[in-house]
Amino acid sequence: MTRIWTTSGFLDNDPWDLSTDGSGEGARVLSLDEALELAAGSNEPIAVRIEPADDVTRLAPVVDRVVFVAVNFPAFSDGRAFSHASLLRDRLGYTGEIRAIGGVLLDQVPFMLRVGIDSVATSHGPTIERLAENNLPGIKLHYQPAAAESSPVAGYSWRRRSAP
Amino acid sequence: MYRYDEFDHDFVRDRVAQFTDQVERRLKGDISEDAFKPLRLMNGVYLQLHAYMLRVAVPYGTLSSRQMRKLAHIARTYDRGYGHFTTRQNIQYNWPKLSDIPAILSELAEVEMHAIQTSGNCIRNVTADHFAGAAADEVADPRPYAEILRQWSSVHPEFSFLPRKFKIAITAAERDRAAIQVHDIGLQLKRNEAGETGFAVYVGGGQGRTPMVAKLLNPFLPEEHLLSYVTAIMRVYNLHGRRDNKYKARIKILVHETGIDNLAAQVEAEWEHLRAGELKLPDADIAAITSYFAPPELSDRAEGWAQLAAWKRTDEEFSGWVGRNVAPHRHPDYAMVTISLKPIGGIPGDASADQMDAVAALADEFGFGEIRVTHEQNLVLPHVALADLEPLWRGLKAEGLETANSGLITDIIACPGLDYCALANARSIPVAQEISNRFADARRQEEIGELKIKISGCINACGHHHVGHIGILGVEKKGAELYQITLGGSADENTSIGEIIGRGFEPERLTDAIEVIVDTYLAERTGREEPFIDCYRRVGAAPFKLALYGGSEVEAA
Ligand code: SF4
Repeated sequence: MTRIWTTSGFLDNDPWDLSTDGSGEGARVLSLDEALELAAGSNEPIAVRIEPADDVTRLAPVVDRVVFVAVNFPAFSDGRAFSHASLLRDRLGYTGEIRAIGGVLLDQVPFMLRVGIDSVATSHGPTIERLAENNLPGIKLHYQPAAAESSPVAGYSWRRRSAP
Repeated sequence: MYRYDEFDHDFVRDRVAQFTDQVERRLKGDISEDAFKPLRLMNGVYLQLHAYMLRVAVPYGTLSSRQMRKLAHIARTYDRGYGHFTTRQNIQYNWPKLSDIPAILSELAEVEMHAIQTSGNCIRNVTADHFAGAAADEVADPRPYAEILRQWSSVHPEFSFLPRKFKIAITAAERDRAAIQVHDIGLQLKRNEAGETGFAVYVGGGQGRTPMVAKLLNPFLPEEHLLSYVTAIMRVYNLHGRRDNKYKARIKILVHETGIDNLAAQVEAEWEHLRAGELKLPDADIAAITSYFAPPELSDRAEGWAQLAAWKRTDEEFSGWVGRNVAPHRHPDYAMVTISLKPIGGIPGDASADQMDAVAALADEFGFGEIRVTHEQNLVLPHVALADLEPLWRGLKAEGLETANSGLITDIIACPGLDYCALANARSIPVAQEISNRFADARRQEEIGELKIKISGCINACGHHHVGHIGILGVEKKGAELYQITLGGSADENTSIGEIIGRGFEPERLTDAIEVIVDTYLAERTGREEPFIDCYRRVGAAPFKLALYGGSEVEAA
């Protein structure tokens, strides 16, 4: 079963319908084209799903109306969504939820958190277990700034440390 | 050289713990082999033909004697008593047990070493000129920038799942010894007219199935923008590099398909947003890293001039070695010494644990404890007084490390090939050994002069055959090994990709063919002052084709 994990624990009542055809429960999450179309004709809040080949910066003009973004990781090896999330946070200044969807596995999660993803949908049993224990395989020291909060480290300008 | 501070130590320790946890979960079955593969690769663990292989990073090819002793210890304790130095200035162990790897990594961490990002689709070990910090012709030591890039790229959250591997090389001399134009990013450290330090940035070079020479992306990037600019390139590549076909996934294909001008515009647009941001390098940070690379105090040792001249007169063998393997240092009383790992008939790049220990001891005695690994699979002692050359040579001789063939026909680069590699079509090592034996005679080698033979066991080109003066590629034809020969490749400041000369050769005919090529060169050259590559560029392929195939022009296999 797919579980939704956020930085503050598992989410039991997910308000979002991530099906591509609106067949699920909850508010629909639109494709980028659909979302931009909706934005042009209304003032409704926008929930959008970013596919790997999408240009996420197209959201820039309407970003203050975006309330939810799902970024898709269709394969473990496809890292485009790491750049999407970085751009959403650093370039567009988006502050709402970014959820990783697709086949999320434990060892990706620390990378995801650093680029500003703050929730993940996963159905992988061992991953869910470790998330439940809050036992992530991450490293607290970083050699580069990233979207997630971290503090500078004495020494070199590029180094950072996450809160323990 | 760079020394870890507390942050680096803690980071590497955490990385070892992280990988240990991953190995445990794999052994427990919580991670499938499919999902484990990118994780182990990111930490240098390959599955080869017979066993796992561990590739240990030697950042920009610089080692201390203490680190070399540790490498020897690992070879002895966890492997079969030897290691293999690679064309990326790293070392590989071919026979470790997966369950021993966490222990090996912990041992490496004790001497400030690791296997981080030595494989996988991430930013790989940054390579540099092996004479950096000693060569007379460099603008400045390029290694501080390589170290900054090493740090910045370590476990990068955005760039660890790239379309394909990504290799950066850096040089600071016009004479390119780091082959920067066949790297994903090649950096040439320069000074502009105002005396400021920066880089010419090349992008999209590479070998493999579609060899390409890099294009100039930026003629002068001021040094403070190094990380922001490389980030811009990486982001464009991560988002737009092809992921539908692994043979088209390197940045060279993106450059080729997008066009360098268009790609430069994309990088520039991305960089506009980044250049003033937190990646801008403060002068103080560059200076702090640079201070680690301060050269050793080289006191004047002018007595070495006369001693060296006398030794050379009395010992012809020593004299030949000095002529071949010793190059001038920035300080006139010192020299840079290449230790050949290409003994006649040996395996290119292999060193036994005893040899590694011996090199460490000689480095301590005569070379300030500093050692380099070259992309040509040899070792270098970068700072040796002329007055110490003779005792050093005797020390090397005792370990069989005195081969005087640097840059000659037996200084062959070869990938592991079918003896180890699961992807190979053909053997590389035995081919190298046979050629080496055929041309063993020192006088004959010296007569032939500079000639670089490079051998790959398949089109992945780990043996850099595309840029060999003579390149040899193993292919498979109807279940049998066949070798295709290319001529005219080069990986220096005049980089060129070799041309296929004609149909391939069976293993038993290959060495004869090489000999025909060499004899043709000797007949065609204007004299000893015209090396093979210059001669080939002047006369073209025709005389070589004629000599190899006779009148009937035969097309490539
Ligand atoms: S060139 Fe091919 S055979 Fe040689 S090491 Fe690389 S992948 Fe293996």
